[in-house]
Amino acid sequence: MIEKELIDECRKGDLHNFRKVVEKTSPMVFSIAFRMLGDKDVARDVVQDTMVTIWQKMNRIKTPDSFKSWVCRIAVNKCYDQLRKKKHLPEQRYDDQTWELISNHISEDGITELESQENARILNFLTDKLSNKQKAVFILSELEEMPADEIVRVTGMKRSSVKANLHYARKNIQTLLQKYL
Amino acid sequence: MATDNNNYKRIIEILRNSRPELIRPEEIEDEVIKRIIRQKRPGETVTALIASLFGWVYVSWVRRSLIGAVTLLVAIFIYQQASILKQVNNLSKKTVIMGNGQLPASSSEFDKKLTLYKISAGFYSDREIQISEKRLEELLISYQDLQGKYKDLVRIIEENPELKKYIENKLNEKRNTKPDL
Repeated sequence: MIEKELIDECRKGDLHNFRKVVEKTSPMVFSIAFRMLGDKDVARDVVQDTMVTIWQKMNRIKTPDSFKSWVCRIAVNKCYDQLRKKKHLPEQRYDDQTWELISNHISEDGITELESQENARILNFLTDKLSNKQKAVFILSELEEMPADEIVRVTGMKRSSVKANLHYARKNIQTLLQKYL
Repeated sequence: MATDNNNYKRIIEILRNSRPELIRPEEIEDEVIKRIIRQKRPGETVTALIASLFGWVYVSWVRRSLIGAVTLLVAIFIYQQASILKQVNNLSKKTVIMGNGQLPASSSEFDKKLTLYKISAGFYSDREIQISEKRLEELLISYQDLQGKYKDLVRIIEENPELKKYIENKLNEKRNTKPDL
């Protein structure tokens, strides 16, 4: 949570306090960007772009309560831009090793934590066939555990649209798991 | 079906637990600050100027009052300069270049000449007039003579109602017969 005083100081052009804002918000932005893009370096670039945009548009923020949603919205839009660029690249191919990896982790007992590379590989594989909107809603809802109202604010979609996109994303991933596991 | 659902829940749980971690966040903070400094926010120059001029005042209301007072003084100064410049321009338009380049010694004589000039200024406002001192004096004498005769004429007309009526009729006739332009 970012305090009102901190936002006010940033509005006055205080870079020292803006550094605190970057420190507090960048882990959340990185998490969303990494999960949406599946690339550590591109996610770091998105964090930087998001922070610069926040600084430039700081005067638009009305209340500190909506700050988190506003930051997420900027981050998600930056991710959309990256995903559009990624579309032009040749499609990635995944071998049986990815399925083996997923299968091994599912069969493991207890709480498993994936390494960064494994995490990216599995996420890319599972969300590869999803549309950008479905991917965003899936990540925000299922992985970031964001409430539906906040997803509506972040994505700018209607509540019904959020529900529909989440339903299709879940169904798609379930079908994929059913097919290969 | 239940197994598929369990697999889905399990993979989501794994992905949730494997929250992407931002490594070396200070690098991002530094880079963001550098980028912001490079591309300054619009209006930042004014803020920087105010900070450099009034940065030594720590009490905010005193600083605001000082900025207000300075702005007011600068505005008054600009207004004064503008009005002085306008007056100078007006005066320079009315300059009479004398034939011998010297002003007459007597100020009362000069006033008379200035009055004469004002009369003629309406006709020659856009041009520079060059009149010799001798010609100017001749013009002044004939103007005074003409003014005296005009006063006598008005007096004679006022004293004689028949003459006044006759002149009025003649003037009306002349007005009526004047062709439209």
